Amino acid sequence: MKIFLGILLLLAPALAAQERVTAITNATVLTVTNGVIERGTVLIRGSKIAAVGSNVTVPAGAHVIDASGRYLFPGIIDTHSHAAVEGRVNEASLPNTGMVRVADALTADDISAYRQLAGGTTTALVLHGSANAIGGQGQIVKWKWGRPIAEWVVPDAPRTIKFALGENPKSANFRPPPGIDRQYPATRMGVEEVVRKSFVDAHDYIARWEEYEARRKRGEQVIPPRRDLLMETMAGILRGNIDVHSHAYRADEILMLMDVARDQGFQVRAFQHVLEGYKVAREMMAAGVGGGTFIDWWGYKAEAYDATPYNVALMVRNGVLTSVNSDSDELARHLNYDAAKAMKYGGLTEEEAMRLCTINAAKLLRLDHRIGSIEAGKDADLAIWTGHPLSTYSRVETTFIEGEIYFDRTTDLRQREERAREKADLLAKERARRPE
Amino acid sequence: MKVGRIAVLISLVIAAAARADAPGVFAITNGSVHPVSGPEIRNGVVIVRNGLIEAVGSNVAVPPDATVIDAAGGHVYPGLIDAHTELGFSRRTPSESRQPQERQPQERQPEPTAATVAAETISVTTADLDARRRTGVTTVVAVPSAGIFSGQSVVLNLSDGEPASRVIRTPAAVHASFATRPAWTFPDSLMGVIAHLRQTFLDAQHHAAARTAYDRNPAQPRPAVSPELDALLPVVRRELPIVMVADSEEMIRRAQAIAREFSLRLIVSGAREAFGMSAQELRGVPVLVSVDWPAAPTDQAEREEQPLRTIRRRVLAPTTPGVLAGNGVQFALVSGTTAAREFLPGIRKAIANGLTAGDALRAVTLTPARVFGVDRQLGSLERGKIANVVITDQPIFERAAKVTELLVDGLRVRVQAAEEEARDRSPVNGTWNLTVLAPQGNISIAVTLRAETGRVTGTYSGDRGSGEITGGFLDRRALQFTISAQLDAETHDWVFRGTITDDEIEGTVTTNLGSFEFSGSKEP
Amino acid sequence: MRLLQIFVALLFTAPLTAQSLIPNNPGVKGTVAIRNATIYPVTSAPIANGTIVFSNGVITAVGADVTLPEGATVIDGSGLSVYPGLIDSGTTVGLVEIDSVAGTVDTTELGTMNPNARADVAVNPHSEVIPVTRVNGITNVIVAPEGGVVSGQSALMQLAGWTPTEMTVKAPAAMHLRFPRLRSAPAWARRDDESERVRRRTYRAELDGLRDLFRDARAYSRAHAARTIDRNVRRFDRDLVLEALVPVVEGRVPVAVEANLERDIREALKFVDELELKAILVGGQDVAKVLPDLKQRGIPVILGPILALPPREDDPYDLLFTNAAALHQAAIPFAFRTNDAHNARNLPYHAASSVAFGLPKEEALKAVTIYPAQIWGVADRLGSLEPGKSANLFVSDGDPLEIRTNVLRIFIAGEEIPLDSRHTLLYEKFRRRP
Repeated sequence: MKIFLGILLLLAPALAAQERVTAITNATVLTVTNGVIERGTVLIRGSKIAAVGSNVTVPAGAHVIDASGRYLFPGIIDTHSHAAVEGRVNEASLPNTGMVRVADALTADDISAYRQLAGGTTTALVLHGSANAIGGQGQIVKWKWGRPIAEWVVPDAPRTIKFALGENPKSANFRPPPGIDRQYPATRMGVEEVVRKSFVDAHDYIARWEEYEARRKRGEQVIPPRRDLLMETMAGILRGNIDVHSHAYRADEILMLMDVARDQGFQVRAFQHVLEGYKVAREMMAAGVGGGTFIDWWGYKAEAYDATPYNVALMVRNGVLTSVNSDSDELARHLNYDAAKAMKYGGLTEEEAMRLCTINAAKLLRLDHRIGSIEAGKDADLAIWTGHPLSTYSRVETTFIEGEIYFDRTTDLRQREERAREKADLLAKERARRPE
Repeated sequence: MKVGRIAVLISLVIAAAARADAPGVFAITNGSVHPVSGPEIRNGVVIVRNGLIEAVGSNVAVPPDATVIDAAGGHVYPGLIDAHTELGFSRRTPSESRQPQERQPQERQPEPTAATVAAETISVTTADLDARRRTGVTTVVAVPSAGIFSGQSVVLNLSDGEPASRVIRTPAAVHASFATRPAWTFPDSLMGVIAHLRQTFLDAQHHAAARTAYDRNPAQPRPAVSPELDALLPVVRRELPIVMVADSEEMIRRAQAIAREFSLRLIVSGAREAFGMSAQELRGVPVLVSVDWPAAPTDQAEREEQPLRTIRRRVLAPTTPGVLAGNGVQFALVSGTTAAREFLPGIRKAIANGLTAGDALRAVTLTPARVFGVDRQLGSLERGKIANVVITDQPIFERAAKVTELLVDGLRVRVQAAEEEARDRSPVNGTWNLTVLAPQGNISIAVTLRAETGRVTGTYSGDRGSGEITGGFLDRRALQFTISAQLDAETHDWVFRGTITDDEIEGTVTTNLGSFEFSGSKEP
Repeated sequence: MRLLQIFVALLFTAPLTAQSLIPNNPGVKGTVAIRNATIYPVTSAPIANGTIVFSNGVITAVGADVTLPEGATVIDGSGLSVYPGLIDSGTTVGLVEIDSVAGTVDTTELGTMNPNARADVAVNPHSEVIPVTRVNGITNVIVAPEGGVVSGQSALMQLAGWTPTEMTVKAPAAMHLRFPRLRSAPAWARRDDESERVRRRTYRAELDGLRDLFRDARAYSRAHAARTIDRNVRRFDRDLVLEALVPVVEGRVPVAVEANLERDIREALKFVDELELKAILVGGQDVAKVLPDLKQRGIPVILGPILALPPREDDPYDLLFTNAAALHQAAIPFAFRTNDAHNARNLPYHAASSVAFGLPKEEALKAVTIYPAQIWGVADRLGSLEPGKSANLFVSDGDPLEIRTNVLRIFIAGEEIPLDSRHTLLYEKFRRRP
């Protein structure tokens, strides 16, 4: 009996999550894809948005949150994060470490996740660093702070890989310690060669397996080729199973990778940072390549000297699918600021600006069927803001992921004391247990 | 390599013969016998003959040829098994050279591989033996701790005699960890290590398949010989378990994921932060919990500045064994990378944090024997098992308990003198001249300290009077003691907390006037 | 070979050190009147439909009812707002062009004690960073050296002028200290390590060194004073390091002490008390824990960057956002800084983010205008729109603390500066790409 009760108790939250209906009412709903709804209601059933509009009937028994005077905005999506990775974020010991997966080293301990929730950010593409030409496979996660890391992973998200071009992979700004030789490449020429050769090798790898399969089918006793995780990854890119997100700054390297992609037969999904995207926006557009960029950062490296905050507007005006990304645990907390800057620098409309950190980012991650706007049927990832999210004076009150509250300012304020008390108690307990 | 292995086999044969010839019939009488495999026998008798246990019980006749060991008032246990040690391998410090800011040229020592056989490379000194035995440990699982694959471990009895004759089982397991290589050497990140592990297991599978395919059809390129991959074959075939070092929940899950992916028999070692894991999560995974509990920073401000997450893990780590016992998880307690003398104090800490003494005993006897498949020979006081017996004057996990007798492979080993000797060698022993850096000026105090079992005693004299210290203890190199400082008519407790490095000490003294730094050195 | 290397190096660095082609100021200081605008004097209530007049670089009239002087250039400000130029209380503008190119970086001198390092001598008036910063309404910045323990002397510069001298409003503005910090060992360090001792030793050495330096400076100042009065006092050689500290120990120039964690701030206050210095606290991330101590001493605070991560994992996520409100409630003077160069233009948003967490809007605006002017001792010239003050101001289409607001015209010392920058020029160029 006791055991049975225990099981019931264990199941209770899961059942409740499925059945839970929440209605956020009287809010200014910034749907992003379907305009603004004044005094609107968003109905959340389980993990999904069930209805959005000004005439939504709130079912009996729904948990109602009155958001009068508040704004509802989709959960912000960051297309470039390095948060929640345990250990080094670079495996830069070889020019190509495409076999490495960020997913293997994710940790639910990084406080950055929580801080981002407090800034309305709910989803991120967590990437390998940029120290080598082909770094490793990324992972799209939702910041489900407090849950085990396995639940952060967006299970049906596309696989991704991070490439890096320019100064970082050619080790322009750092040197190995004494006793260790510099690593190839040292020029943009070498970076191109590393990328190109990796794909040439991958074509051979695919051919080797095809040969093997053919001979095996003929009944020959042949040694199978070695399964090489790096080559499997490169082959995955060629087969279109892995999206390429490439760190790039200068126009020439952007063009270079698009050329290699055309030659070798793969598609670049997006350039990340892409500070000179504005110089080659029409080439990017023509190649169907998107861009995740930041607005402000410039002048920190030679290759960032031509960065301008107008980059976003020029790319958008040229039809490039563009998002603002963070590459920073700090900036990830206010990507709404960066979106607003695209109005100031280059004159995007309010809706175009809002798209930069929501639906455009979702499209770059190929998750726009699930996230990026407030629409019925999408994941209930959204935040209640005290004002318009493009205003510097606004802050987040409550952040939902899949219908669950992961940040709430009132709860946060209360927990501060609880946490301080727990810390004091633990330290007291430790003192008491020290040998006499 | 081959030759070495054959040598071990030969010596095993010789050892078996030698043991059969060994004289030694003992009757351990009048003690409380803890067989582990059964209930405690008050006033029991254990008969040992020719290295094996001949009988255990309350009504066992003492054979006439037996040497009687009177354990009156004492306790009799199977010899303890420490199922993860680095015994016999010089401590390398890859973790230090891995620090990101380290910029000196790194000395590249050859890293062990899965083909490294501990039984062949182990080198146990008398001091090593003494250090382990005086804690009641008669059997260890030994393997180097360095590297991603650190080699094949050995179950070793800590008996005297030929080294090769001590081997109970080799290989016991293949050992691996998530240890990164030095910066700029693949793999130097956690995610790189996991990719490397994954590729290595794939290669081992491929190696086997290639060899099979070649044997069937030699008309194709001949696969190269690879001892490293050969060594992993028993692991991928589930004939041999793999011990993976993992402390945090997430590391344990990573180890489990790899084991699942390649269908390996996983044993987790470390697991100090497994207190939050449910029975379900650890089902089917034996756990070797390292009792090398994380230590608090000696500096109070630093202690308080640490994040709650760190404090929580540090303070709750010693509750792990109790939690695992409560969840019915199969676990052993091991010393891991800590020094031999920390083993029993570490177990006591687990007991203070919710583990019962009975569960603790099982976790250092029968459970590790089962985990490594040597429970037919070891782990309990039962007829036919190897006569590893430890006798203590008090229950073994009591702080003041002393090992009074130790039998390994049925032979008596002296331990008492060794323990006193160890205390005599404590780094704290001696006279220390301390200088307290007070704002009014330096204050000189001399203290003469001596390590006792689990504590430190001594006297002080100097600028603030003289007397006996109180509350002295040494936690590895962290020393704490209190003096009654006298100035004019007032007396106040001054608590010294310092860290000993060779013959120097540095730390903080908390006084009625505030906290001051102090430093000092030991008189030669 | 060596020649070739130098040649290559020149080739490589030449385009990087290229000077801004934007005029530093046109040199026209006529009489200008902006009328029909909402004027925010900052020190008094906003004036709807107001007029501001400035002539020869100085504000001559502000009000709802101002007669336009003869010959004034009249600007219609209908629907627009006029604000005093914003002041960033801590930057490296002009000291750095490209962070990763060492040849363009002049922020940090070698060694730990550099009181004689002067920011104003190393500011490049033609840095591309200057136009980028000022087109967002920032007319004045503190340029401060970085690094070491005594980093050097800052200068209050205006972001217009053809030479550093023309740009300098006040130098030295303060003597900048990065107060020694005792930090917990990083997570990867072994606790009982040698590094622990080294950290403590370094910390103590830095503290002692700092005290000794200031005591020496005081002795030097007294000796100098003695010799000024009595020529019989024995002559001694000049020491530029100590000489730089003389106005500081004499209380004429403040120390701007960067300290963030509570224990560092407390240690810094002890130091300031002991040496009887006039102090400004800079950084001050834990400032909310030391409010009475600051209040009692009358020490103002330069907060920032605000758009930065809290220093400790357990800190409230809004720690840095709430500090300004805490200072405001405690009536402790404060101002904001970005501690940046390339992104000093974001100063107003550092201020605005504090508004979301309790700071009144007007206070946020004051903390980037009149408050810094007061703290840096230039409130007679800068920080508000009042007759007699320098005509550093801008016209915008709204609240400058809102990102979406555009700065439409900017005047520094009464001269209108074009709103061009490297960024606008690149924009215009590539917007027109055929």
